[in-house]
Amino acid sequence: MATAHLIAVGSSPLGKTDLPGRDLFSRALAEAFEDLPDPADVVDGLYVGAQSERYENQIMQGTLMAEWAGLRNVPAERVEACAAAGALALKNAVRDVRAGVHDAVLACGVEKMTAGGTEGATNALGAAFERALEQRSGITAPATYALLARRYLHETDATERDLARIAVKNHRNAVANPRAMFQQAVDVETVMGAPDVAPPLKLYDCAPVTDGAAAVVVANDEVAADLQRRPDAVRVAGVGSAANNLAVAERDLTFVEGANVAASTAYEDAGVDAADVDVAEVHDAFTVCEALLAEAAEFAPEGRGIETVEEPGDRSAGWTDVQINTSGGLKARGHPIGATGLLQAVEAYEQLTGRAGERQVANADTALLINEGGVADAHTVAHVLTAQ
Amino acid sequence: MTDESDSPMTDSDSTTTGPLAPDDITADSPFTLPGFFDALAAGKLVAAHCTECDTHLLPPRPACYGCGSRAVTLSEQPRTGEVISYTSVTRPPSAFDHVAPITIAVVELDSSARLTGRVDASLEDVAIGDRVELRVRDAESVDIDEEFDLSYEESWPLHVFELL
Repeated sequence: MATAHLIAVGSSPLGKTDLPGRDLFSRALAEAFEDLPDPADVVDGLYVGAQSERYENQIMQGTLMAEWAGLRNVPAERVEACAAAGALALKNAVRDVRAGVHDAVLACGVEKMTAGGTEGATNALGAAFERALEQRSGITAPATYALLARRYLHETDATERDLARIAVKNHRNAVANPRAMFQQAVDVETVMGAPDVAPPLKLYDCAPVTDGAAAVVVANDEVAADLQRRPDAVRVAGVGSAANNLAVAERDLTFVEGANVAASTAYEDAGVDAADVDVAEVHDAFTVCEALLAEAAEFAPEGRGIETVEEPGDRSAGWTDVQINTSGGLKARGHPIGATGLLQAVEAYEQLTGRAGERQVANADTALLINEGGVADAHTVAHVLTAQ
Repeated sequence: MTDESDSPMTDSDSTTTGPLAPDDITADSPFTLPGFFDALAAGKLVAAHCTECDTHLLPPRPACYGCGSRAVTLSEQPRTGEVISYTSVTRPPSAFDHVAPITIAVVELDSSARLTGRVDASLEDVAIGDRVELRVRDAESVDIDEEFDLSYEESWPLHVFELL
C-alpha cells in the first residue's frame, strides 16, 4: 500500500461573502497551489464535498470544480454525507493514493450557505434528517442536537454553563486563527444570555451559517518528494468511517457509537492510541458535540467530555493531554458544510508543520480529525495525521 | 380516521418472519411507508420486530440495525411511553413557521421502540420521564403547509404525543 501525504492546503474566506461556490473554490485552490505547478501537472483526479444543491441549484460539482482547476477528462466526483462530505472527499482521495489508482488527488469542499438566508439554510439542512417521522414533525438541526444535549445534561453532571464554556474556548482559539470567521472572544455571560435556538441550546451553542471552500492535495511518496518546495508534508496515517442510524430517536443519545468506531478504526490503521494524539479537530456543530466526541475519541472518561475546556493539567484522571479545536472549531472558525472536514485537515496540517502561529501547540506530531454528517454519528469520518 | 385500535395486531398478524421476499414488499405492507401510514391512519402503530435480538424498528424495515438479522416480523406497538429527551423548535423549516414554537420529544414506548414526534404541550410543561400517549392526526388538522408534502405523502397522517 502506498503512503498518502497531505502536501498542500488552502481555504477561502469564511463567512457571509460576495463569492459564489465556484469562486470560493478558486480562492482555496489558489492558496493550495501557490508554490506548486498547475493542478493538471500534479493531480489525476478530484473529489468535492458539497452538502446541498439547494443553495446554488447546482449539482455536477465534480465536473465544475475540475474545470475551474484546469483538469479535464479525469475522474472528478461530488460526494455527499451532509456535514461529513469534506472528510469523505479526503477519505476517497487517500484511498485512491494508497491503492495506487492515482499518484495525487485533489480533495476539496465547498458550500454557499448564505445564498437563501437562514431560512434557506434551515430548509437545506433539514434534508439530512429522517423524512417520514422526523422531518414531518418539524425537526431542525439545532433541535436534533438539543435532544442530545438535554439528555446529556440529564445523565451527567454537566450544566448549560459547561456547554457555554466550550463556545467560549473555541471563540478564544479563533482569535489566533486568521482563517476564522469569528476572530473575537465571547464571555460565558454572553453565551448564557443569548436567545434560545432549541433549548437547552442557545445562539452561541450553534455553529454559524457560513460560505466557504477548502482544498488539499493528497499525494504518494514520489509526488511528495518531487515537490521540493513542500518538504514538510504530513502523513495521512489512519482512516476510519462509519454510518450509524439516521433517526435521532434510534440512537444512543449520550454516546456517539459510530464516531467511536470511526476513530478507533483510524487509530488502529495508524498504529496509534488516543493518548498519542496532540491536537484534534472534532465536529462541534453544537457545543454538546465537542463533549460527546471527546468521549467517543477516547480522550475523556464517560460523562467528562465537558473538560475539553480545561488545560491538560486541570482535567480529571483518565483524560489525555489533547488540545481540541485549536482552529476555533466549527463554532468560531465557521462551518461551510461541505468544506468543514477539509478545514479540519487545514488546521491539522498547520499544527503538524509548525505553521499555526500563536495557536501552535508545542511538539504537535499527531492529529485526529472527526467530521460528522446528519445528526451526531449518522455518518462519521475520522483521520489520523502525523508529522513526518 | 380512528384514533384507537380495535383489533390489535400482534406478531402472529404478520405473514412473514423474514427475510422478506420481493413480493412481500408492496405498498400494502407496513414494511413500506405507504403501508405503515395506511395502518397508522387506521389507528395501528406498527413496528418491525427483530425475532433474533428483540429490537423494535419504527418505521418497519427489512433488516435489524441492532444485529443485522432479516428475521423481522410486524408488531403493533403500545401507544404509551415516556419522554427520553425534548426541546422546542423556535425556527422551524418554512412549512412549519406558522405553528412554531414546536415542542419535540424522543419517546420510548412501553415496548422499548423509540420515535420522535411533536408534543401537544408547551416546552415548560414537559420533562424527561413524563408519560405520554401517541395520537394519530391527519395532516390537515396539524396544519402543516400543504406544499411541504411530497405527492405520495399527502394522505399520510401525523403522530403527535399528548401528556398523560
